[in-house]
Amino acid sequence: MKKHLREMRPVFVVGIGLHRYQRLSETPYVTLGLTAVREALADAALDWRSVQSAYTGTALIGMAASRPMLRHLGATGIAMAQVENASASGSTAFRQACIDVASGLTDVSIAVGVDKPGPVAMAPGKTRMRDLVGSRVVPFTHFALLTQEYMTRYGVSAEQIAQVAVKNNRNGANNPYAQRQKAVTLEEVMAGPAISGSLTRLQCCPVGEGAAAVIVASGDAIADLKIDRDRAVRVIASVAKTEQVYRGAKNFDAELTRETVEQAYREAGIAPRDLDLMELHDAFTIEELLYTEAMGLCGPGQAAAAIAAGEFDVGGRCAISASGGLLAMGHPIGPTGAGQIVEITRQLRGEAGVRQQPNAKTGLAHMVGVGAVCVVHILQKGA
Amino acid sequence: MSKRKAVQPELYSPDNADNPALNGGRCRACGYVFFPPQRYGCESCGAPPEQLEPAELRGCGQLHSYATVHLHQGKDIEAPFTVGLIVLDGGPAIRALLTNRTDEGLTIGDRMSSVLVAAGNDQEGNEMVEMRFARTEVRK
Repeated sequence: MKKHLREMRPVFVVGIGLHRYQRLSETPYVTLGLTAVREALADAALDWRSVQSAYTGTALIGMAASRPMLRHLGATGIAMAQVENASASGSTAFRQACIDVASGLTDVSIAVGVDKPGPVAMAPGKTRMRDLVGSRVVPFTHFALLTQEYMTRYGVSAEQIAQVAVKNNRNGANNPYAQRQKAVTLEEVMAGPAISGSLTRLQCCPVGEGAAAVIVASGDAIADLKIDRDRAVRVIASVAKTEQVYRGAKNFDAELTRETVEQAYREAGIAPRDLDLMELHDAFTIEELLYTEAMGLCGPGQAAAAIAAGEFDVGGRCAISASGGLLAMGHPIGPTGAGQIVEITRQLRGEAGVRQQPNAKTGLAHMVGVGAVCVVHILQKGA
Repeated sequence: MSKRKAVQPELYSPDNADNPALNGGRCRACGYVFFPPQRYGCESCGAPPEQLEPAELRGCGQLHSYATVHLHQGKDIEAPFTVGLIVLDGGPAIRALLTNRTDEGLTIGDRMSSVLVAAGNDQEGNEMVEMRFARTEVRK
């Protein structure tokens, strides 16, 4: 009989760490990754020798990234592997670490996300299936098409959609790990430069470098290693799915998100109203509206009004992208999904400082990636 | 002797047709119609390549969305240009460049038709054509 995560051995996040997301620099990826890992070890008050498996979410660095980085913590001989799953690489690395602990293969595992921008070989370009537009349509134009469709269908203005960037940059301004740490006005967002359709530069996420690390542990390890149980946050759902055939011009990212999140709600035994915060794949402003609707936080076409009413602000009914999200914290690819878990854990512990969502108990992390793939986790305090 | 050639001969023929067709595919097992064509297996039902056959898709459909690209890094074309998401009457949704550089006058729901436009010459002096879409002219 197959089981889902919540029916297996409980898994807890016990340590979190980040290296700030930033523009490409001379810093080696090794330094980025080690900074995040050492911060996570210190946060959990754990020795590296307690960690029994490591997964590195990375899409851009190249083959065999893990050991040349992690050996500098002391070569303990543990299992290591790279996880590449496009934008969901860090989310998938975290899922693998959870699976190790839930199954009993390990008591303590780590997911690391690390990347630096650079030339990348995209497999979809090697299928020898070419469409009419090729590289003339890049992600920002894919999302500009969805933006125009949404505006026309629901009578929503470009300014209403741009408010997502205002909200998430306001959050990013309170996050010392964010790539963009400056609050912006609607006028600044709209002033451009124009990128594609109605999307302006500040409505597109920055892709820089950085690192994130998350340590997960079993209840046994928490007791044996004297980890602070009060700061541990349980992972109550882990779901990964891929796109199916959707007829016509249906938005596949939203459909896939709907299917994946519905399964995660079922496995966690929660409803959308139970979510106190969420980190979602807001690489482009329109995505926050499409996904909050697909996840059932509001009805079709109602997300813009919910944002205007402050419902998704820190302090609102569900804080969305309290970290700043991909739009402000940034989207260094490999780290992004792991960084979402860092933010949700920090919030559920009540340690998020000025951007703390009050009384946060349950949080959801959502990433989509080229493929299309979707990975969703739900975390809960006190579970 | 110079000839007229398609930039993407696997996707459409360079013949000077009104409303040129697109080369799509169909699965004999489940009827799924797709674009671009491929010979790997059916995405809808998993039928093997032997079950896949070429299917000509008429270059007619409805505009589902559009976007004018203001920033483009490739050297093959200069911004601005406008991309349309078109649901072909034959089923598949495709993305194509539109003949107009901007979105002026476009409305979602417009009827769209394929056209072949000049795309320079290749090294042998052949006249290259590429497929774009334009609003369907209402004939009087």
